[in-house]
Amino acid sequence: MSLANLNFFMSEAATNLRRSGMMSFITISTIGIALIMMGAFLLATMNMESFLYQMQAEALVTAYLKPEVSISDAKTLSLRLTSLEEIENIMVVTPEQAAKELFSNPDDQQLMQIGITPEENPLPTTLRMKVKAGTHLPPLLEKLKSEPLIDNFSYGEELFQQFQGLSHLLWVTSLVIVIMLGLASLFIVYNTVRLTLYMRREEIIIMKLVGATNWFVRGPFIVEGFIQGMVGSFLAIIVLFATYRFALGKLSELIPFFTASIGFEQMFKLAAKLFMMGLVLGISGSLLSLRDINRFSKSTPEGV
Amino acid sequence: MIELQGVTRIFPNGVRALNNISLTINPGDFVFLVGPSGAGKSTFLRMLFREDVPTEGKILIDGKDITTMPEGRVPYLRRNLGIVLQDFQLLKRRTVAENVAFGLRVVGASASVINTRVQEALEQVGLSHKRRMFPTELSGGEQQRVCIARAIVNNPLILITDEPTGNLDPMISQEIMQLFLEINSRGTTVVMATHNHNLVNKLRKRVLALVDGQIVKDEACGTYAYE
Repeated sequence: MSLANLNFFMSEAATNLRRSGMMSFITISTIGIALIMMGAFLLATMNMESFLYQMQAEALVTAYLKPEVSISDAKTLSLRLTSLEEIENIMVVTPEQAAKELFSNPDDQQLMQIGITPEENPLPTTLRMKVKAGTHLPPLLEKLKSEPLIDNFSYGEELFQQFQGLSHLLWVTSLVIVIMLGLASLFIVYNTVRLTLYMRREEIIIMKLVGATNWFVRGPFIVEGFIQGMVGSFLAIIVLFATYRFALGKLSELIPFFTASIGFEQMFKLAAKLFMMGLVLGISGSLLSLRDINRFSKSTPEGV
Repeated sequence: MIELQGVTRIFPNGVRALNNISLTINPGDFVFLVGPSGAGKSTFLRMLFREDVPTEGKILIDGKDITTMPEGRVPYLRRNLGIVLQDFQLLKRRTVAENVAFGLRVVGASASVINTRVQEALEQVGLSHKRRMFPTELSGGEQQRVCIARAIVNNPLILITDEPTGNLDPMISQEIMQLFLEINSRGTTVVMATHNHNLVNKLRKRVLALVDGQIVKDEACGTYAYE
């Protein structure tokens, strides 16, 4: 594409955006509103997921060591595991301590009835690990599995599976909603571009008569779509983040322990995603409407 | 230059718009295409700029078969053609100069080339003093002259024109016709469909008469009559 062409596309797009102000407004608002809704769903999902991870990390991982493992070996292992990035701290619980904990509860007296007594202690040495906040559990569990001294471990599997399921469901739901909203706004953008295409039919006919290629005719429309997508997404990001900030403020007033769990980096990534989605919506809406450009460019009706 | 070989066009509704037409138009010719309404004149012209394709037969322009030309090549064919239609087809929101420049913009010409060529084309049609005006501020004859300027701004080899004087009074029609003669005198082939028998009879150029899709007359210095 030559510089002259690009210059022409830009000036044409700017002129057309100005001339068909209402159409441009409709397209930009459609993209903006769709992105605000998509962004809101994504934000809610990200917050929920982050919250779930936090809850998940608060669960202790308990590793049961093999019966032959001595206390000193257990302490050595605990020192080694402390160096893992996922571990906040480790406590070695000897069988005696475990038994004391067990029999301190009067309800557990029934254990004695089935032959388990403080003297005949079948409990293994255990390591109680507190996991750092925000840790994704599966990689840590993999590391623990490979430790030869560890017999087995528990980490609240059921709860963890539920969290995983809920998190997965959230993502699937938000993905479906984002796709549906994307398609709906694409349809509206397609129709508004189609309308402007009819309005500018004469111009297209003349362009084609004087030898414009299809891509040359599409050029200004694509630039318009790009600008509309850019403006729409920019507005959406401002509105969404301002509302989020406001909502966070209100929530922390209502719920004293509530803190924002999404960091700047994640917010920036979300903004970048929304911006890209805006561009894709604007450009693909234009491209879709222009796919049969030859239908618009017949200078004279067919006939004798 | 232009060669039609057994060109037939049958529309989907069964109407035979052109029926086995074979002829040659040489470079620099001035050809009138006459005939009653519905004879196939417009279809004939539409074929020349690949707005339509024949059902049978071939059309060669400068030795190239344009009937089998891929759609993507059609714009490059049209850049060598000037097209002037009856309804002036000017962009009302653009100035005279911008309308004329359109033909150069689509080929990616630079601003300086556009300025020079637009000025030359407007001088040729006698409208350089109205370059900043809008089409709605011009008379019918002036609007048609702007269309002609747009058609010749690329120095086309062939000028195809369909009823260019159809909406104009006799005096203005003569002026427009004079313009076409001047353009033709510089070597551009002109193919013009018209109902203006006075002009055809006066100018005594080659006349092709089409009736019911068939060439019924092909005279070198012909008159309008085709019955």
